[in-house]
Amino acid sequence: MLKLRRPPCFSQLCAAQRVVSQSAFAFLFSEMIQYSQTRVNTADELIAKLEDAGVGVGRRALELACWRERSSKRETRALWKSLFGAHADSLQKVQDSDDEFMIVEKEPLVNAFISSAPVNCAAFVAGGRTPSPPESGRLGRRLAAAQFPAEVSAHDNEEGATVLLIKFAPEVLEREKRQA
Amino acid sequence: MASEAERKKVALRRLGDATFSKVDKVSAELFSLTYGAVVTQLLKDYEDVAAANVQLEKMGYNMGVRMVDELLAKASLAQCASFSETAEVVAKVGFKMFLGVNVEVAAATSSEFRLLLSENPLAEFVELPEECSKLEYSGLLCGVLRGALEMVQMRVECSLLRDTLWGDEVTEIRVLLKERLVEEFVDDDE
Amino acid sequence: MLHSFHIFNRKGDLLFYKEWARAPRSAKAMADDHKLMFGFLFSLKQLVNKMAPRGSGGGLHACSTSTYKLHYFETASGLRFVLCTGLAAGDLRETLRRLYADIYVETLTKNPLHRLDEPITCKSFEQAVDAFFASLQQGQG
Repeated sequence: MLKLRRPPCFSQLCAAQRVVSQSAFAFLFSEMIQYSQTRVNTADELIAKLEDAGVGVGRRALELACWRERSSKRETRALWKSLFGAHADSLQKVQDSDDEFMIVEKEPLVNAFISSAPVNCAAFVAGGRTPSPPESGRLGRRLAAAQFPAEVSAHDNEEGATVLLIKFAPEVLEREKRQA
Repeated sequence: MASEAERKKVALRRLGDATFSKVDKVSAELFSLTYGAVVTQLLKDYEDVAAANVQLEKMGYNMGVRMVDELLAKASLAQCASFSETAEVVAKVGFKMFLGVNVEVAAATSSEFRLLLSENPLAEFVELPEECSKLEYSGLLCGVLRGALEMVQMRVECSLLRDTLWGDEVTEIRVLLKERLVEEFVDDDE
Repeated sequence: MLHSFHIFNRKGDLLFYKEWARAPRSAKAMADDHKLMFGFLFSLKQLVNKMAPRGSGGGLHACSTSTYKLHYFETASGLRFVLCTGLAAGDLRETLRRLYADIYVETLTKNPLHRLDEPITCKSFEQAVDAFFASLQQGQG
């Protein structure tokens, strides 16, 4: 039972991006976690459930962003920015590696309200590519849907920030080389 | 000459605007898409629209009992003198500071009021398919109101009367006061 | 000079307790003390209401003994913040309100791991409260 989306009219898409309070999102997300906790037995299952939820969100976010940008070209930055705004602190390339990029989030939005959580709730944020530790999810799915298949994994760096490591599949690099 | 009630309304609207301007914001799209994921999950888990409606309201209730503290704290509200004042606070301050939307109060009496939303961030870009036409997509809001008001000693019943997702012009919620709760202290040692 | 700090909910459950200058006592004695505190405040609130001058309501703000002062801040949602300090302290209700708005609301209400009516075990809340009171102590001298 999927929910369809009304094809947005042009003016709606172009309208300045609306905002709600971060609190509203936090309370909703918190309740989503609590609900999920009642339906699962282990932390792993919880992560999987959150990732699933993230997948759906990512897929739709991509559709919206594509309509906005009116192209199917590289969407990563635009998507990340449009959803998370200032919270995505940087998109960088990993040295000595052609196919790896990093996004460093100093205070991942969805983790901001959960302290000492056994589960890294940014699992919701990426997009569900197993096997990955907490934090795969929306990003992976979005990239895949945008024809940029990649593996996304999450790590904590020394400063306690969350680093999303994006490793693009070989065919992406091939294609980019050809197009250059 | 503006009446006392009108002056209070204006003051509350200003308070709502000021409070919303001070809070951190996120994209309404992220919010709406996240909610969509929640509803989709509920429909999968319950398979029956009526059961999903009940669960959505419950989730809203759980949120409402927590959100009320942020409303009370950030907006530094004093006790409401009447149920219609409560209505104005909910509409002009509550909805504004959390969702950034302007909500009108209609048909306010001492035991009932209606809230009219012309914008609903929960339902941006959403369309209900045929088999979900009876889904109370915005039922979460009814639960939020019930939970929040219960924490301030009012037992209410909230119902979603109209929803833009059902083809209506506005989303309308009715709030009915059933009982004012009185504080009791039972010493369980005795 | 801070002596003790309680947070109660409407039902009388103790959600949080911190003390600085109390004599050590058994767990049972402490539990009895908390019950006594809540019961006393509840009765005092009722008294305050009954004895209010005509036309005004108002609630309990503070009460003093010869050696210490009790500051009381209650939210419309039924949370009671109680702080006992030395007599030199001024009106600390605004301080308690800030603790509610900036610490309680921010670290607990949005935290899915914290159940509202249960004792607070959240680390970031405890740390924030410690830091809050530490700076308060410094300010007061």
